[in-house]
This record gives sequence, C-alpha cells and structure tokens, in this order.
Amino acid sequence: MVITTEALTRSFGTLVAVDGLDLELPAGGVVGLVGPNGSGKSTLIRMLLGLVAPSGGSATVLGRGIDDPTAYAAEVGALIEGPAFVPGLSARANLASLAALRGLPRSRVDEVLEVVGLAGRGNEPVRRFSLGMKQRLGIAAALLPDPALLILDEPTNGLDPAGIVEIRTLLRQLGSEGRTVVVSSHLMSEIETICTYVVVVRFGVLVFSGPMSELMRRATTSVAVAPEDASDRGALRDVLEGHGWSVSAEEPTLRVVAGEADAALINRQAAAAGITLSSLAVHRDSLEAVFLAMTGTDDGELADARGAALRGGVRREGVR
Amino acid sequence: MIGVVRSELLRLRRRSVLIGWFGLVVVFAVLINFVMFNVVDESGAAPADGPGVSFPSAAALLSPDGIVAGLGAAASFFGVITLAFWALAAASDYSTGLVRILVAAEPRRGRLLMGKWIALALVTALTCVTALVVNVAVAPVAAQAGGFSPDAWGTDLLVVLAEATGHLYLSLLVWGSIGLALATLTRSAGVAIGVGVGYVLLVEAVISAVATDISDWLPGAILTALAQGGNEAVSLAAAASTGALYVVAALGAALFAFRSRDITD
Repeated sequence: MVITTEALTRSFGTLVAVDGLDLELPAGGVVGLVGPNGSGKSTLIRMLLGLVAPSGGSATVLGRGIDDPTAYAAEVGALIEGPAFVPGLSARANLASLAALRGLPRSRVDEVLEVVGLAGRGNEPVRRFSLGMKQRLGIAAALLPDPALLILDEPTNGLDPAGIVEIRTLLRQLGSEGRTVVVSSHLMSEIETICTYVVVVRFGVLVFSGPMSELMRRATTSVAVAPEDASDRGALRDVLEGHGWSVSAEEPTLRVVAGEADAALINRQAAAAGITLSSLAVHRDSLEAVFLAMTGTDDGELADARGAALRGGVRREGVR
Repeated sequence: MIGVVRSELLRLRRRSVLIGWFGLVVVFAVLINFVMFNVVDESGAAPADGPGVSFPSAAALLSPDGIVAGLGAAASFFGVITLAFWALAAASDYSTGLVRILVAAEPRRGRLLMGKWIALALVTALTCVTALVVNVAVAPVAAQAGGFSPDAWGTDLLVVLAEATGHLYLSLLVWGSIGLALATLTRSAGVAIGVGVGYVLLVEAVISAVATDISDWLPGAILTALAQGGNEAVSLAAAASTGALYVVAALGAALFAFRSRDITD
C-alpha cells in the first residue's frame, strides 16, 4: 500500500476536518481523491506531507509513518493548492532553488521543464506566466525528485482544453510507469478519464474507496423510449410496466429503469404490442451523478448538512 | 544544510531584493556621511541624536576611527533595512505559498529556518562590505565639505576598517534575526517591518525622551553601541552579550513557532 490511514483525525476547534479516516491506497496507477468543498481533502494531503499534524490516529506514506515525513520526503512530489513560486525569478531559477533544496543535480531542472512543455520558457520570470503555465511549472516542481508518489491538487486548474488533454496524458503516463499519482480534483470528468482507483470523502469521512469500475457499478442505467405516435405513450407505458419495469414519464419520452441488455427486449415488447418506437436510447449515470448521489447535490445542501452535523455533534457517515 | 542554504541564496538572487537592499545601503551610507559632517561642529560636542541616528563628537570624527564613523551613526538605519529584508525573505514564503512546497521537500523545519538564517547572514555580510566601501569613498569628500581636516585618518586603517565592518555586521545580524522572528511569528512582512520600524523611529525615541536613565539600554541604543564598537554608555562586551541574547531569544521564538505550527498558508 502506498498510503494507509487508521482512524486519522484532524480537528480545527469544533470543526472535524478529517474524522477517523481509514484508508488503504494501492501502489501504482492514478488515484482520484474527490469530495465536495470542505470535505477534508486538503487537510488529508497536508497531513500526509507533514504540513499539518493529526489530532489523532496514524498514517503511513510509502510504508513509513507520517510522524517522520523526512523518511519519505525524497520520494514524494506534490502540488498543493496551486503552484507557488517566487514571481521575480525565472522558471529555471525557481526549479533550481527547489532542486538545490532536495540535493538534486541542476540537469534535473531541464528534464522536468521538457516533460511539462516549458523548456523554451525556462528563462522567463514566473510573474509573466499564465495560470496554466504556472500549473505546468508546479507539476514540474513536483516531478523534480522523480517521485514514487506524486500528489497533485487540482493539476489541470487554469489550463486550456489542449493543455488539459496534454496533462491528463502525462498523468496517465506517469501512473503507468509504476509510480502512484494521487489527483485531488473537483472535475468528475477528469477523475473519470484518468483514474483507475477513486477515493470519495465527505465531511472528512470516507464514503468510498475502490477501483473506478467498482464505483461505476453504482451507476444506474435507464432506457429512454419514445413511440412514433405520441398517442401510444399510455399504451406503451402499460406494456412495459406489465413486464415488471419501473417507468416514469419524461416528455416526450418514457424512462424505463432497466439495464443495457434489456433495450432489445423493450423494443420487441413494444413491437409485439403494435407500437413503433421512434427512439430508444440507453442512459448510464455519469460519475458526477454517482458522486452527487453519495455526497449531496449542491453546495447549499452540503453546507446545511454540515451545519446540522456540527450542531448535533459531529457524526460519522456510513463508510462504504 | 548546504543544500538549504544554496536554495535560499538562489531565491535571494532576485533583482528586486538585490537592488532594493544594496541600493538602500548605498543611499544611507552616502547620506549619513554628508549629514553627519555637516551637523557636527568641529569645535563643539556631539549634537543631539535623531530618531535612528547617533551622532559622534567632533573629536571622534577627527580620530583615526572618523573615516568609518558614518557606519556607526546610521547603524539603526542599516539595522532597519536589514530587518526589513530579512522579514521580507521570511514572510514572502508565506505570501507566495512557497512554504508548503519547501516544508514538503524538507520536513526538518529547524534546518529550513537555520538555512535561511545562514543565507541571509551571508548576503548581509555583502551589504556590510558594500556599506564600508561606499563609506570610505564618500567620507573624505563629506569631511572636506563639512570643514573637517581628518589628518589622523589612515592610522591603522585596515584594523579600523575591519573592526568597523565587524561591529556593524554583528549588530545587523541581531536586527536581521529580530526581523526573521517577527515575520515567522506574524507570517506577514508588513506587520514585521511595521513593528520594527515603528519601534526604532517612534517607540524607542519616545521612551528615550521620557526615561533617560534606561535609554542607553533599549534595543536600538544597544545595537547602535554594538555597531559603534561600544560607546561611553555601553561597552562593546555588554552590547555584544545583550545582542547575542536577542539573537537567541528571536531564533528560539521563531524556531518554536515554525516547528510547532501547522502550515495552512
């Protein structure tokens, strides 16, 4: 396991940011760390990196306890809450400073600049960089130690669409090289696209931890059908409900709670009843829908729920 | 530790720091010499001190040490400049968010802070040499303009220059350490510089005016005495030992805060 936590807890006054978190992350691949705002992702990352001390519990990174981050710091690269650099220095000088701090050769600077596509801009002051370029530079800084574990907080923030695709490709490549890449993100499409394993936290409590495929099995599938003749909608609904499917009306279609394998059977049943379908489409919940079903629908709901939890004493949500 | 120092030195190489820090040192080294040789009466006693300035007597200016008297007279100004740039160097790590990258890369926070102290001390040594060179170049011109005939200047010149630079350097290390501590404690360059400058130019000046019996032992006065190699009120040994206590207290407080607090910036 690349990261383990056992009852890991961190409180700030009455607020429990991370609440008895038990977690085991396997080595290798790209791991998505997702959760709504204020769910404790950043606090968790900071504890793993030795920036914030836990209030209770324990954790290991690369097999070594987080009470001594020195033991693994040389093998971990991180981009924490956005890129941070000295604006008046060039990209190359900034990286050279971090390389010196880690005792790395200067040549490593050019290597990571090349990896993130900034080799030609290395001598420009960082203050002239766009947010996307700073983000790339932040990833370059994280890559300096050639880390076994790479922790990236919102790595594609500020990038243009082409840059996002490029960085996603890079992250997938890094994850396939044997190292573990932990990506914290609010973008479900990003997590769905690049992650092989996903961790969902809410109110500092683990909601889900497992392979992406396992999480997506929670997605519900439905089949949307529309009769060619609108006056057949009632008859079609009766036919489908008669076969045991749950049907709801969503003008101008009917939504049938059924798997992809049932689509052909639905079509046959409609035809047998003399109803011609003008459309039949299988709909599968996105990761975003699955995520929202687990964590809440919007910030307002989350804030209300969090407030209720705090007023009633912090409670643990069901894990898994 | 060498890596930490090198890393800090690389970050200090930015143009704004170098031009600002060394530029201010040069400006004050020039200004103080012309002001000092103009306001000190060749036949009279030393004029009253101003905020941050301690004027020597005419006899002191005419002595072999007179060539470097400007360094001691403006010691508080050099001190405030040093405090400000040490505070800026420490606080900018928080304002840019760099501190989280640095601590994640080097979790031994004591080593990070001490590496920063050493790097800043090295740059401060360069500012001292710069102040000395400018002072030595300007003092003869300023003395002539002020009507002084410094015939004694040149006696034991190397010893005089080395002692003056060494004394100024020791006092600046104390000023810098206080700036580093204030910035680490407040995580803000503005607050740290405001406290430092406000104390020297306002608070200590007011206390000195109303409590003359302790005025020679206030931090600004002590550090001026240290920069001057001791004066009539405070010996070099007393100033140096008090300065050392300030450094220990400042670094102790900064180390405690930096090692024990969460990095949430």
